[in-house]
Amino acid sequence: MAVSTVHTVQSLSSTCSISNPTKSHLGFNQKQLVFFKKTTTTTRRATTVITCSAGDTVVIGLAADSGCGKSTFMRRLTSVFGGAAEPPKGGNPDSNTLISDTTTVICLDDYHSLDRTGRKEKGVTALDPRANNFDLMYEQVKAIKSGVAVEKPIYNHVTGLIDPPELIKPPKIFVIEGLHPMYDARVRELLDFSIYLDISNEVKFAWKIQRDMAERGHSLESIKASIEARKPDFDAYIDPQKQYADAVIEVLPTELIPDDNEGKVLRVRLIMKEGVKYFNPVYLFDEGSTISWIPCGRKLTCSYPGIKFSYGPETYFGHEVSVLEMDGQFDRLDELIYIESHLSSISTKFYGEVTQQMLKHADFPGSNNGTGLFQTIVGLKIRDLYEQIVASKSGAPLEATKT
Amino acid sequence: MAAITGLTLTTPKTLAKASDTSKIKAINNFSFPWKKRCNTQFLRLVAAAAPEDLSEKVVESIKSAEEVCSENPVSGECVAAWDEVEELSAAASHAKDKKKDSDPLENYCKENPETDECRTYDN
Repeated sequence: MAVSTVHTVQSLSSTCSISNPTKSHLGFNQKQLVFFKKTTTTTRRATTVITCSAGDTVVIGLAADSGCGKSTFMRRLTSVFGGAAEPPKGGNPDSNTLISDTTTVICLDDYHSLDRTGRKEKGVTALDPRANNFDLMYEQVKAIKSGVAVEKPIYNHVTGLIDPPELIKPPKIFVIEGLHPMYDARVRELLDFSIYLDISNEVKFAWKIQRDMAERGHSLESIKASIEARKPDFDAYIDPQKQYADAVIEVLPTELIPDDNEGKVLRVRLIMKEGVKYFNPVYLFDEGSTISWIPCGRKLTCSYPGIKFSYGPETYFGHEVSVLEMDGQFDRLDELIYIESHLSSISTKFYGEVTQQMLKHADFPGSNNGTGLFQTIVGLKIRDLYEQIVASKSGAPLEATKT
Repeated sequence: MAAITGLTLTTPKTLAKASDTSKIKAINNFSFPWKKRCNTQFLRLVAAAAPEDLSEKVVESIKSAEEVCSENPVSGECVAAWDEVEELSAAASHAKDKKKDSDPLENYCKENPETDECRTYDN
């Protein structure tokens, strides 16, 4: 009599290990398929245990133009889950991958099909789909999702070459960050949650000036030329991914200071799609209504230019969304805790968790404005989503074993 | 043993590994097998070279992008050249941040917490 609950037959491939243990060992994150073979020649029952990581990996996609892995958003996200994310020990020092206890973040630049010289010869940018191998991306993300480890290529940003692959083992949370996480329809299907970081042109220009003006060789003109040259490809291939994202963090220049072009005070909008499974949008005071809120007043004193919030339902590319917007910046801890206490559905485990996370990384850029706040909140939402998915998956096998 | 910008080759395995890989990279870049340079001098050059190397690349890429674009401003080559400038600028800025964050003692102690330098006393 065979006792088996076979979920995904195709994952019974090379990286599942077959062992004959004398005692069963239930490892972390592994489900065991136990096959009982009744041999007719002897009365002894042989048991063969096939262990595979059962594919409760949750896949998150993050579309961002700023490069990979080391970005602030990733560091905040991994911090919400606990532990610091670091490059794989003992591997290629130019690897773009970050690994923590629960999370692995990979950079989609690793799936470039053309290296820097190849792209120069063909006259394509890294933004162009022709420079990326979407088939490999799909296969490997699918493999990780079903619990199979993969050898992923490494794109070396320093040399511009494609280096020998590194081993990626399926983690609890797998984040794919890069320019095209939602471009290919098959990869999009595999994502449990997707985020798009939409930086407006003025803010992008201001940030790039801050980043590059200190570099030798760069001038205002070269920075401007670089942004403008990339814009057509960006608008054609990267920008359309916005419509598929479950959450969009839009960064715009502030409206509180007239004619501000330093990009220091920011207006940040968190656009959250309605109806996404396991995702409950954050709201202010009353879900579904339109609210405009200036917290500074009698209970809270803020310094110039102050803080302004708004919340309301909108439509975004034909979808129903809820938008939470923050304009301005925090100066003090008590402003942050005051605001946190008025937000609802932020998925914190205790009062003040958002503030605590923001304080933990007070040196990160955006820690005093909406970018840091919404990135932290999205991190908490992802944690909540992960826990709900795991809870629902552990509910299902119990059903199967009843038979 | 050679002292390279404050790091000595004798001690940490990990630091040696880092300078080794950069040494290997440098050897691949310069193919002078017949020239017997003094080891210490060569290694000193290499360890200091990491972010400056990238900065050099940024400068060169900007120059070449300006050249290519002056010939034909709407070609794919021009766009690809500016894309390369962007990629290298991003890499240079990441490298600068990484260098700013990394403390040699912290890095060593992460790998070898049991050594004398890294022991912590809590009372």
